[in-house]
Amino acid sequence: MEIDETAFGGLIEESRDTHADALRAAREPLADLVDLGRQTRAGSGPDPDESRAFAVENRRRLGAIARRAGGLLAATGVIAAIADYIGSPAFASSGTDVQVLQTASSIEVLAVSTYKTALGLPYIGGSSANKVIKAFATTTMGQHADHLAAFQSATTSLGGTKQDKPDPAFVPVVDKAVTAITKASDSAGALLVVGLALELENIAAETYVNNMSLLTDANAKKVTASIMGVEAQHVAILLAVQALLKAGASAAITLPPPAAKLPAAAGSVGFPNAFYATSNAAPASQGALS
Amino acid sequence: MSVNEPVSDLSEAELRAMTADLDAMHHDLTLPALKDSLAEWTDDIRAQGDAGHDADAARQLLFDRRRFLTRAAGTAGGIAGVGLLAACTSSSSSSSSSTAAASATATSSSAATGGTGAMVDGEGQSLSGDLQVVAMAASLENSGIATYMAGIKAATAGKLGTVPPAVVTFAETAMAQHQDHQKAWNAVLSAAGKKPVTAVDPVIQPTINAAFAKVTTVTGLAELALLVENTAGETYQNGLSVIKSAAGIKTAASIQPVEFQHAAILYFVLGKYPVPNAFTGVSLARPPSDYKV
Repeated sequence: MEIDETAFGGLIEESRDTHADALRAAREPLADLVDLGRQTRAGSGPDPDESRAFAVENRRRLGAIARRAGGLLAATGVIAAIADYIGSPAFASSGTDVQVLQTASSIEVLAVSTYKTALGLPYIGGSSANKVIKAFATTTMGQHADHLAAFQSATTSLGGTKQDKPDPAFVPVVDKAVTAITKASDSAGALLVVGLALELENIAAETYVNNMSLLTDANAKKVTASIMGVEAQHVAILLAVQALLKAGASAAITLPPPAAKLPAAAGSVGFPNAFYATSNAAPASQGALS
Repeated sequence: MSVNEPVSDLSEAELRAMTADLDAMHHDLTLPALKDSLAEWTDDIRAQGDAGHDADAARQLLFDRRRFLTRAAGTAGGIAGVGLLAACTSSSSSSSSSTAAASATATSSSAATGGTGAMVDGEGQSLSGDLQVVAMAASLENSGIATYMAGIKAATAGKLGTVPPAVVTFAETAMAQHQDHQKAWNAVLSAAGKKPVTAVDPVIQPTINAAFAKVTTVTGLAELALLVENTAGETYQNGLSVIKSAAGIKTAASIQPVEFQHAAILYFVLGKYPVPNAFTGVSLARPPSDYKV
């Protein structure tokens, strides 16, 4: 079974058409946010009670991240620095929704840069790459760029400053992984790339699921809700690809896959849980600006 | 290896080991969080009732949060509460309780012909606010369960040609997860003193039935399942803008991405690009009014 490049290109094109329709759906809440942002800027600033509750939730999540990350993040001092920042007056001066959106932006910045790095590898973005993996990495990078633009637009619409830097807590983790990837063989490197992408996608999905109950602005919720399912879809496909790579079956990564030749368990590897978790969600202000 | 060769290296054991790790995390972290959210949502709905938003619910909410699971476990059909948690522990198993699916299947024909009476299968209750959203969501899950159950039945009877084992696993697992979702929604209704909804969505089910009647292949079934999954995902996305309780939002937010994951795998199997949009929409969303008041 060979990939039909023309047909695949057509699918991507068809996807872009549908995507344009979905973009229109995302623009509506963003336009409403612009109006709300004007009202907020004319108002009296963030609710102190809301900010305090938000800080408590963030400290709890930071502690959880530190425990999961073990020595790496602790050694870099990132957790301590962020914990100090959350307690600072600068933190309290910005609205909760703006901080949540800035953190979301910081995750998207990291995702875009990670896929860009991956596409620079010959076995992901070069002529020797699996066509489906290359197309997925390229399209996914574009989708994350769209998400970044949406979160940044929502941030500025609410009167905040757009975040265009990567999430500081996750940068060391990604840097370490990228170093390992550059030293690995092509096959091992591909598996590491997929593992890293999977981790970032899952953090993004879980963070946005968690953010749904933190956000107060209706339109910020709508924007986030329209993105979290897409990150979860990235996770599903990456889980399936990871399973095939681990089995040394990279040639089976085709569109469509050779379903008749796959073992039964392959049918459910992409969606392991009936309910999406939030245990790996980033603290909602982790990527916020002062 | 060549794609023309069987994927012999990809063993069931390896894949099952991978999913077992994820299952363990699901049981340790996700389910307790879900249980908390459902209990908190019950409190919120009671508060709404106390504030006069749903007087009927207020009258019936005569129990406290600690009794949530006990009360829910005793509802008709055994759908909810402790049953929910027990079923959730087997969400990736094809052997999940078939109670809901059987019920959904039993009611699908009556829904298609419009033969549903008041208070039958949880329909016709006086619900408003979050409870109406919940009831509609439960009925939509019933439609999803009924679709997969009918598809599996047709495949087993040889009506769809050769069905790859991976496709069977997909259908069984997706159906089991929809059963878990249905139990979650119905746990909220039961805890609020309402009847669990075991009827299918009366508005969309005729469309599903008509489409299913034309299904003769696995591809046709996958196309229909894709429509059901996208409808569910978009409905819950829309519901996130309607639900008032923060705990309710947590619950809906934990389900919406899973429906879109089902959709991504279906796109992939159908040879379509698996993540077609950077943003998911709400054009297919079913309104809360699908649940008959």
